[in-house]
Amino acid sequence: MSGDPPALSNVAYDDLVVDERLGPFTETVSADLAGRLAGAIGTPSVVSLAPPAVFPVLFLHALRRAMGGIPAGSVLAKQELEFHGTLEVDNDVEITVWVGNKEVKRGRPFVTIEFDIRDGAGEQLVTGRKIIVWRTGPVAEASAA
Amino acid sequence: MAATEPFPRVVDDVTQAGIDAYAELSGDFNPLHVDPEAAAASEFGGIIAHGPIALQSFLRAATEWLGVEALPAGTSVAVVYRAPTRPGDAIAAEPRSVTEREDGRHDVEAECVKQDGTTVVSVRAVL
Repeated sequence: MSGDPPALSNVAYDDLVVDERLGPFTETVSADLAGRLAGAIGTPSVVSLAPPAVFPVLFLHALRRAMGGIPAGSVLAKQELEFHGTLEVDNDVEITVWVGNKEVKRGRPFVTIEFDIRDGAGEQLVTGRKIIVWRTGPVAEASAA
Repeated sequence: MAATEPFPRVVDDVTQAGIDAYAELSGDFNPLHVDPEAAAASEFGGIIAHGPIALQSFLRAATEWLGVEALPAGTSVAVVYRAPTRPGDAIAAEPRSVTEREDGRHDVEAECVKQDGTTVVSVRAVL
Protein backbone atom coordinates (compact mmCIF):
# COMPACT_ATOMS: atom_id res chain seq x y z
CA MET A 1 0.00 0.00 0.00
CA SER A 2 1.42 3.38 -0.95
CA GLY A 3 1.64 6.09 1.69
CA ASP A 4 1.53 3.63 4.61
CA PRO A 5 -1.24 5.26 6.65
CA PRO A 6 -1.72 3.97 10.21
CA ALA A 7 -3.33 0.55 10.52
CA LEU A 8 -6.26 1.77 12.60
CA SER A 9 -8.14 5.01 13.08
CA ASN A 10 -10.56 6.20 15.70
CA VAL A 11 -12.69 8.46 13.54
CA ALA A 12 -15.79 9.19 15.57
CA TYR A 13 -19.27 8.73 14.17
CA ASP A 14 -20.02 12.39 14.86
CA ASP A 15 -17.01 13.49 12.78
CA LEU A 16 -18.08 11.63 9.63
CA VAL A 17 -19.17 14.10 6.94
CA VAL A 18 -21.81 12.78 4.55
CA ASP A 19 -21.12 13.21 0.80
CA GLU A 20 -17.58 14.56 1.21
CA ARG A 21 -15.55 12.94 -1.58
CA LEU A 22 -12.17 11.57 -0.49
CA GLY A 23 -9.55 10.76 -3.11
CA PRO A 24 -9.12 9.68 -5.78
CA PHE A 25 -6.49 7.36 -4.41
CA THR A 26 -4.25 5.54 -6.86
CA GLU A 27 -3.69 1.84 -6.23
CA THR A 28 -1.88 -0.77 -8.31
CA VAL A 29 -3.55 -4.10 -8.95
CA SER A 30 -0.53 -6.35 -9.27
CA ALA A 31 -0.59 -9.84 -10.69
CA ASP A 32 0.43 -11.10 -7.26
CA LEU A 33 -2.44 -9.34 -5.46
CA ALA A 34 -4.97 -10.53 -8.02
CA GLY A 35 -3.60 -14.08 -7.99
CA ARG A 36 -3.83 -14.35 -4.21
CA LEU A 37 -7.51 -13.35 -4.31
CA ALA A 38 -8.65 -15.58 -7.17
CA GLY A 39 -8.92 -18.85 -5.28
CA ALA A 40 -8.42 -19.73 -1.63
CA ILE A 41 -7.41 -16.49 0.08
CA GLY A 42 -3.65 -16.00 0.01
CA THR A 43 -2.91 -18.95 -2.27
CA PRO A 44 -1.01 -17.78 -5.36
CA SER A 45 -2.49 -18.38 -8.79
CA VAL A 46 -1.94 -16.93 -12.23
CA VAL A 47 -4.66 -14.64 -13.60
CA SER A 48 -4.78 -12.03 -16.31
CA LEU A 49 -7.88 -10.18 -15.10
CA ALA A 50 -8.65 -8.93 -11.59
CA PRO A 51 -11.05 -11.38 -9.88
CA PRO A 52 -14.05 -9.91 -8.04
CA ALA A 53 -12.44 -10.32 -4.60
CA VAL A 54 -9.86 -7.69 -5.58
CA PHE A 55 -12.39 -4.88 -5.36
CA PRO A 56 -13.35 -5.16 -1.68
CA VAL A 57 -9.61 -5.16 -0.99
CA LEU A 58 -9.13 -2.00 -3.06
CA PHE A 59 -11.97 -0.45 -1.13
CA LEU A 60 -10.19 -1.22 2.14
CA HIS A 61 -6.96 0.28 0.79
CA ALA A 62 -8.81 3.49 -0.08
CA LEU A 63 -10.77 3.53 3.18
CA ARG A 64 -7.54 3.23 5.15
CA ARG A 65 -6.02 6.13 3.23
CA ALA A 66 -9.17 8.26 3.44
CA MET A 67 -9.67 7.83 7.19
CA GLY A 68 -6.07 7.55 8.32
CA GLY A 69 -6.52 3.87 9.11
CA ILE A 70 -9.20 1.20 9.14
CA PRO A 71 -11.92 2.28 11.60
CA ALA A 72 -11.05 0.31 14.73
CA GLY A 73 -13.64 -2.16 15.91
CA SER A 74 -15.97 -1.62 12.96
CA VAL A 75 -17.96 -4.61 11.70
CA LEU A 76 -19.21 -5.17 8.16
CA ALA A 77 -22.98 -5.66 7.94
CA LYS A 78 -23.78 -5.41 4.21
CA GLN A 79 -21.88 -5.04 0.97
CA GLU A 80 -22.92 -4.30 -2.61
CA LEU A 81 -20.79 -4.42 -5.76
CA GLU A 82 -21.75 -3.39 -9.30
CA PHE A 83 -19.36 -4.39 -12.06
CA HIS A 84 -19.01 -2.07 -15.06
CA GLY A 85 -15.85 -3.38 -16.70
CA THR A 86 -12.88 -5.67 -16.26
CA LEU A 87 -9.30 -4.82 -15.36
CA GLU A 88 -6.12 -6.45 -16.59
CA VAL A 89 -3.61 -7.07 -13.83
CA ASP A 90 -0.56 -4.85 -13.32
CA ASN A 91 -2.60 -1.70 -13.88
CA ASP A 92 -3.42 1.28 -11.70
CA VAL A 93 -6.90 2.25 -10.59
CA GLU A 94 -8.32 5.44 -9.08
CA ILE A 95 -10.62 5.05 -6.09
CA THR A 96 -12.93 7.66 -4.63
CA VAL A 97 -14.74 7.00 -1.33
CA TRP A 98 -17.30 8.93 0.63
CA VAL A 99 -19.78 8.54 3.46
CA GLY A 100 -23.12 8.02 1.78
CA ASN A 101 -25.22 7.88 4.92
CA LYS A 102 -25.05 7.49 8.66
CA GLU A 103 -27.90 6.63 10.95
CA VAL A 104 -28.71 4.92 14.21
CA LYS A 105 -31.04 1.94 13.83
CA ARG A 106 -32.20 -0.17 16.74
CA GLY A 107 -29.65 1.60 18.88
CA ARG A 108 -26.68 0.74 16.65
CA PRO A 109 -24.73 3.26 14.51
CA PHE A 110 -24.66 2.26 10.82
CA VAL A 111 -22.42 4.03 8.31
CA THR A 112 -22.67 3.57 4.54
CA ILE A 113 -19.36 4.03 2.74
CA GLU A 114 -19.67 4.43 -1.04
CA PHE A 115 -16.85 3.80 -3.45
CA ASP A 116 -16.11 4.31 -7.13
CA ILE A 117 -13.20 2.55 -8.82
CA ARG A 118 -12.00 3.64 -12.28
CA ASP A 119 -9.20 2.59 -14.56
CA GLY A 120 -6.37 4.86 -15.67
CA ALA A 121 -8.47 6.20 -18.52
CA GLY A 122 -11.25 7.21 -16.16
CA GLU A 123 -13.60 4.41 -17.19
CA GLN A 124 -15.74 3.12 -14.36
CA LEU A 125 -14.87 -0.44 -13.29
CA VAL A 126 -16.74 -1.08 -10.07
CA THR A 127 -19.06 0.90 -7.83
CA GLY A 128 -20.48 -0.19 -4.53
CA ARG A 129 -20.94 0.38 -0.89
CA LYS A 130 -20.39 -1.15 2.48
CA ILE A 131 -22.68 -0.70 5.43
CA ILE A 132 -20.61 -0.83 8.56
CA VAL A 133 -21.56 -0.97 12.21
CA TRP A 134 -19.43 1.84 13.61
CA ARG A 135 -17.67 1.28 16.89
CA THR A 136 -18.77 4.60 18.34
CA GLY A 137 -22.25 6.02 17.99
CA PRO A 138 -23.33 9.61 18.48
CA VAL A 139 -21.72 11.19 21.52
CA ALA A 140 -24.91 11.09 23.56
CA GLU A 141 -25.29 7.34 23.01
CA ALA A 142 -21.62 6.54 23.34
CA SER A 143 -21.43 8.25 26.69
CA ALA A 144 -24.48 6.34 27.86
CA ALA A 145 -22.95 2.98 26.88
CA MET B 1 -21.21 -16.27 -20.51
CA ALA B 2 -21.33 -20.02 -20.11
CA ALA B 3 -23.63 -20.68 -17.16
CA THR B 4 -25.11 -23.78 -18.76
CA GLU B 5 -24.04 -26.08 -15.92
CA PRO B 6 -25.53 -26.20 -12.41
CA PHE B 7 -24.17 -23.55 -10.07
CA PRO B 8 -21.07 -25.18 -8.56
CA ARG B 9 -20.60 -25.84 -4.87
CA VAL B 10 -17.30 -24.34 -3.71
CA VAL B 11 -16.03 -24.82 -0.16
CA ASP B 12 -13.47 -22.54 1.48
CA ASP B 13 -11.62 -23.55 4.62
CA VAL B 14 -11.14 -20.55 6.90
CA THR B 15 -7.83 -20.52 8.72
CA GLN B 16 -5.94 -17.98 10.80
CA ALA B 17 -3.24 -18.09 8.11
CA GLY B 18 -5.86 -17.11 5.53
CA ILE B 19 -7.16 -14.33 7.77
CA ASP B 20 -3.61 -13.06 8.29
CA ALA B 21 -3.04 -13.19 4.53
CA TYR B 22 -6.20 -11.18 3.93
CA ALA B 23 -5.06 -8.62 6.51
CA GLU B 24 -1.77 -8.25 4.66
CA LEU B 25 -3.44 -8.01 1.25
CA SER B 26 -6.12 -5.55 2.35
CA GLY B 27 -4.29 -3.60 5.04
CA ASP B 28 -7.18 -4.31 7.42
CA PHE B 29 -5.58 -5.21 10.73
CA ASN B 30 -8.72 -4.70 12.78
CA PRO B 31 -7.96 -6.44 16.13
CA LEU B 32 -11.15 -8.48 15.75
CA HIS B 33 -9.30 -10.35 12.98
CA VAL B 34 -5.71 -10.53 14.11
CA ASP B 35 -5.47 -9.94 17.87
CA PRO B 36 -6.72 -12.96 19.87
CA GLU B 37 -6.78 -11.11 23.20
CA ALA B 38 -8.63 -8.07 21.90
CA ALA B 39 -11.03 -10.29 19.96
CA ALA B 40 -11.69 -12.42 23.04
CA ALA B 41 -12.66 -9.30 24.97
CA SER B 42 -15.06 -8.17 22.23
CA GLU B 43 -18.73 -9.02 21.80
CA PHE B 44 -17.62 -11.83 19.47
CA GLY B 45 -15.58 -13.62 22.12
CA GLY B 46 -12.76 -14.49 19.73
CA ILE B 47 -11.25 -13.97 16.31
CA ILE B 48 -13.65 -13.42 13.43
CA ALA B 49 -12.69 -13.43 9.76
CA HIS B 50 -12.94 -10.36 7.55
CA GLY B 51 -16.41 -10.28 5.97
CA PRO B 52 -15.21 -10.80 2.39
CA ILE B 53 -13.52 -14.06 3.41
CA ALA B 54 -16.97 -15.48 4.12
CA LEU B 55 -18.06 -14.34 0.65
CA GLN B 56 -15.10 -15.85 -1.19
CA SER B 57 -16.72 -19.23 -1.82
CA PHE B 58 -19.59 -17.51 -3.62
CA LEU B 59 -17.30 -15.32 -5.74
CA ARG B 60 -15.26 -18.38 -6.72
CA ALA B 61 -18.41 -20.30 -7.59
CA ALA B 62 -19.77 -17.38 -9.63
CA THR B 63 -16.66 -16.99 -11.76
CA GLU B 64 -16.34 -20.75 -12.18
CA TRP B 65 -19.98 -20.97 -13.26
CA LEU B 66 -19.59 -18.20 -15.81
CA GLY B 67 -16.23 -19.55 -16.97
CA VAL B 68 -14.49 -16.20 -16.41
CA GLU B 69 -11.72 -14.74 -14.27
CA ALA B 70 -13.52 -11.43 -13.71
CA LEU B 71 -17.21 -10.68 -13.33
CA PRO B 72 -18.29 -8.93 -16.52
CA ALA B 73 -20.02 -5.58 -16.94
CA GLY B 74 -23.65 -5.68 -15.94
CA THR B 75 -23.20 -8.12 -13.08
CA SER B 76 -23.75 -7.25 -9.43
CA VAL B 77 -23.50 -8.83 -6.01
CA ALA B 78 -25.37 -7.73 -2.87
CA VAL B 79 -24.52 -9.33 0.45
CA VAL B 80 -25.89 -9.40 3.97
CA TYR B 81 -23.51 -10.70 6.65
CA ARG B 82 -25.56 -12.85 9.01
CA ALA B 83 -23.09 -14.42 11.42
CA PRO B 84 -19.38 -14.31 12.14
CA THR B 85 -16.94 -16.67 10.45
CA ARG B 86 -14.09 -18.04 12.53
CA PRO B 87 -10.86 -19.96 12.01
CA GLY B 88 -11.70 -23.63 11.57
CA ASP B 89 -14.93 -22.99 9.71
CA ALA B 90 -15.60 -24.47 6.28
CA ILE B 91 -17.78 -22.14 4.21
CA ALA B 92 -19.78 -23.50 1.28
CA ALA B 93 -21.62 -21.41 -1.30
CA GLU B 94 -25.02 -22.99 -1.84
CA PRO B 95 -27.45 -21.71 -4.49
CA ARG B 96 -31.05 -21.27 -3.40
CA SER B 97 -32.49 -20.16 -6.73
CA VAL B 98 -31.20 -19.41 -10.22
CA THR B 99 -33.57 -17.70 -12.64
CA GLU B 100 -32.69 -16.75 -16.19
CA ARG B 101 -33.67 -13.23 -17.21
CA GLU B 102 -34.85 -12.08 -20.61
CA ASP B 103 -31.48 -10.40 -21.22
CA GLY B 104 -29.64 -13.71 -20.76
CA ARG B 105 -28.28 -12.89 -17.35
CA HIS B 106 -29.37 -14.75 -14.22
CA ASP B 107 -30.84 -13.73 -10.90
CA VAL B 108 -29.02 -15.85 -8.33
CA GLU B 109 -29.90 -16.18 -4.67
CA ALA B 110 -27.39 -18.06 -2.58
CA GLU B 111 -26.14 -18.52 0.94
CA CYS B 112 -22.69 -19.12 2.30
CA VAL B 113 -23.13 -21.76 4.97
CA LYS B 114 -20.87 -23.05 7.73
CA GLN B 115 -20.25 -26.71 8.43
CA ASP B 116 -22.94 -26.65 11.15
CA GLY B 117 -25.55 -25.26 8.77
CA THR B 118 -25.38 -21.66 9.99
CA THR B 119 -25.83 -19.13 7.21
CA VAL B 120 -23.04 -16.59 7.46
CA VAL B 121 -23.77 -14.66 4.25
CA SER B 122 -26.90 -14.18 2.16
CA VAL B 123 -26.29 -13.21 -1.47
CA ARG B 124 -28.48 -11.76 -4.22
CA ALA B 125 -26.61 -11.46 -7.49
CA VAL B 126 -27.15 -10.72 -11.13
CA LEU B 127 -24.74 -12.87 -13.16
